[in-house]
Amino acid sequence: MALACLMAAVQLHSSQIEGRLLRSDPNSIPSSAALMLFARERGGALFGVHCAVCHGQLGQGDTERGIPDLTDDDWLYGMGSVSDIEQIVKYGIRSSNPKAWNLAIMPAYARARPSVRDSKIPALSPANIRDLAEFLIREQGRAGDTAAATRGAELFAAEGGCYDCHAADGRGDPAVGAPNLTDRITLYGDGSRESLSMSIAYGRHGVCPAWATRIGAAEIREVALFVYSLSHEPRRTETDRHAESD
Amino acid sequence: MPNPTEQRRTNVAGGSSRRSFVLMGAGALLGLLMAGYSLFTARGTSTMVVPPEDVALINQQPISRSDYLLQLQTLYGVDLRHATAAQRRQVLDDMIREELLVQRGKELDVASADPEVRAAMVNAVELEIAADAIAQQPTEAQLRVYYASHRARYASEGTMSLRDYVFPPSESRAAAEAAETPQFTTPTRALLERWHASASGKVADEEFYFAAKIHLGDRLFEAARDLADGRVSAPVSEADGIHILYMIKNKKPVPLNFAAARDQVLTDYRNEAIGHLRTGDEAFLRKRANILIAEDVR
Repeated sequence: MALACLMAAVQLHSSQIEGRLLRSDPNSIPSSAALMLFARERGGALFGVHCAVCHGQLGQGDTERGIPDLTDDDWLYGMGSVSDIEQIVKYGIRSSNPKAWNLAIMPAYARARPSVRDSKIPALSPANIRDLAEFLIREQGRAGDTAAATRGAELFAAEGGCYDCHAADGRGDPAVGAPNLTDRITLYGDGSRESLSMSIAYGRHGVCPAWATRIGAAEIREVALFVYSLSHEPRRTETDRHAESD
Repeated sequence: MPNPTEQRRTNVAGGSSRRSFVLMGAGALLGLLMAGYSLFTARGTSTMVVPPEDVALINQQPISRSDYLLQLQTLYGVDLRHATAAQRRQVLDDMIREELLVQRGKELDVASADPEVRAAMVNAVELEIAADAIAQQPTEAQLRVYYASHRARYASEGTMSLRDYVFPPSESRAAAEAAETPQFTTPTRALLERWHASASGKVADEEFYFAAKIHLGDRLFEAARDLADGRVSAPVSEADGIHILYMIKNKKPVPLNFAAARDQVLTDYRNEAIGHLRTGDEAFLRKRANILIAEDVR
C-alpha cells in the first residue's frame, strides 16, 4: 500500500513537471535549472534509444556519414534554439512528414539531371566542378588555384545556381538548411578538394526521421532540451549559486 | 453474561473486521481516484481539460502547442514571450478556424467531390507510409549487404576528352585515309583542308559521359566509349557527314566504395523499403475492402 502510494506520488510529481515543461515557452526553459535537470536526464535516455544510432551517444556526429555534430554551435536548420530543435525532432528533415524541413536538396551536378525536383538546374562539366571546389577552398581562406577559384566564383554566382541556396556570399541560409561554405565546418568528408568535389558531383540529402507520431510531446521536448544542452553550458541560476555557496 | 475471553474475542474480531472495511474502502477510493484521473487525462479520451502539450481542443481534436508556437514564429517572427496578446489571439483564432473547417470538410465528405482534396489525401497517406520506413534506421551491416548486392549501381560518372572531326559524306575515302594517318591525332589546318574535314564542335574539352552522349548522339558515343587514350575511331557515318573521333583521355566510371556510396545506398535502401511498405499497405487495404466491380468492366 505504502509502495503504491509512493509510486503514485512519484508519478504525480513527474506528471506535474512534464506539464510545466510542456506549458512553458521552450526557449525560456534553459533558464530553469530544475526543469533542465529533469528534461536532460529523461531526454538523454530517449536520445540514447532513438537518436544515438546515427548521432552517437555523445551527439558528436560523423562526417563520413554526413551526421551533424550536435555539440558545437553550428546549426544547419534554424538557429539552434530549443523550439528550432524541437521542430526537427518532431517533424524531421526530409522525413516525408509534410511539416518537415524539406525545401532544399543539394543537386548532383555530375548527373544528367542534377535535381529530381527542379529540371532547370543544369549539369556541370568536370572542369566546372573542380573550379567550384577551388572557389570554396579560397573562400575558406586556404591556398589554391586562383584562376580556377575566379572561374568558380562566376559559376557560383551564375550558371551553377549555388547562390540560390547558399546565398551570394556563400554563408548559407538556415531557413532552407543550406550550410555556410566559408567556414571550415564540414558536414560531409574532411573538407578536402576531393570530398568537396564529391558533394558537388553527387549531391547530398541527409534525412532525419520525424518522431511526432512515435513518441509523446513531452518526450520530444525532453530530447530537444537534451540536444540543446549538448552545446550549451548549464545556466547558473540563483538557486544554483546558493547551493554552491552552501 | 458473556465471559471475558469471549468478550475479548468479539472485540478483536470487530476491530479486525473494521480495519478490513477501512482498508477495502481506502483501496476502492484510491482505485476510483486513479481511474478517474486516467479517464480524464489519458490520450484519446474525452476530456474537459486541455492537455499540457496542446493549446486548445476543438471537438476533442487537439491544436498542438508546438504548432501554435511555430505559427507565431512564422507569421510574426516572435516567440511566445515576445508575442503580444493580439498576436496570440489572432494565431489561435486562425488555427481554431482551420480546425473547424477541416472538421466540417470531413462531415461534408469533400474528398468524394474535390479532386484536389483527394490528391492531397492520397499524397498524405503515401507520405505517412514513407515516414514509417524512414524512421526505421537500417544498421551499417544491412547497408553493406545492400551495397554488395547492388554494387553495379554505385559508380562515378565517366569523363572523356576527345576531338570529333566531320568529313563530307562524299569524302569516305579521305576519311578512311585520315583515320589511318598518324598525324590525325594533331591534324594541322592544312591537313584538315586537304581532307575537307573540320571539327564538329559537338563536344567541349572534357565532358561527363552523359553529356558526351547527349552532344555526340548514341552512335558516336558508343564508338567513343571504349576508345583508349590516344586512339582514333573507325569512320562513323551520320546524317551530317562521316565522323572520326580521337580520344585524348577516357576516364571510365569507377565503382564507388561503400564509404563514398553510402549516402546513395541509404537512399536506395529506404526507397526500396518505402516501395515494399506501400505495396504491403495497398494489399492490406484491398484485402479488407469490399470492392464490387461492374460486370461489363471486369
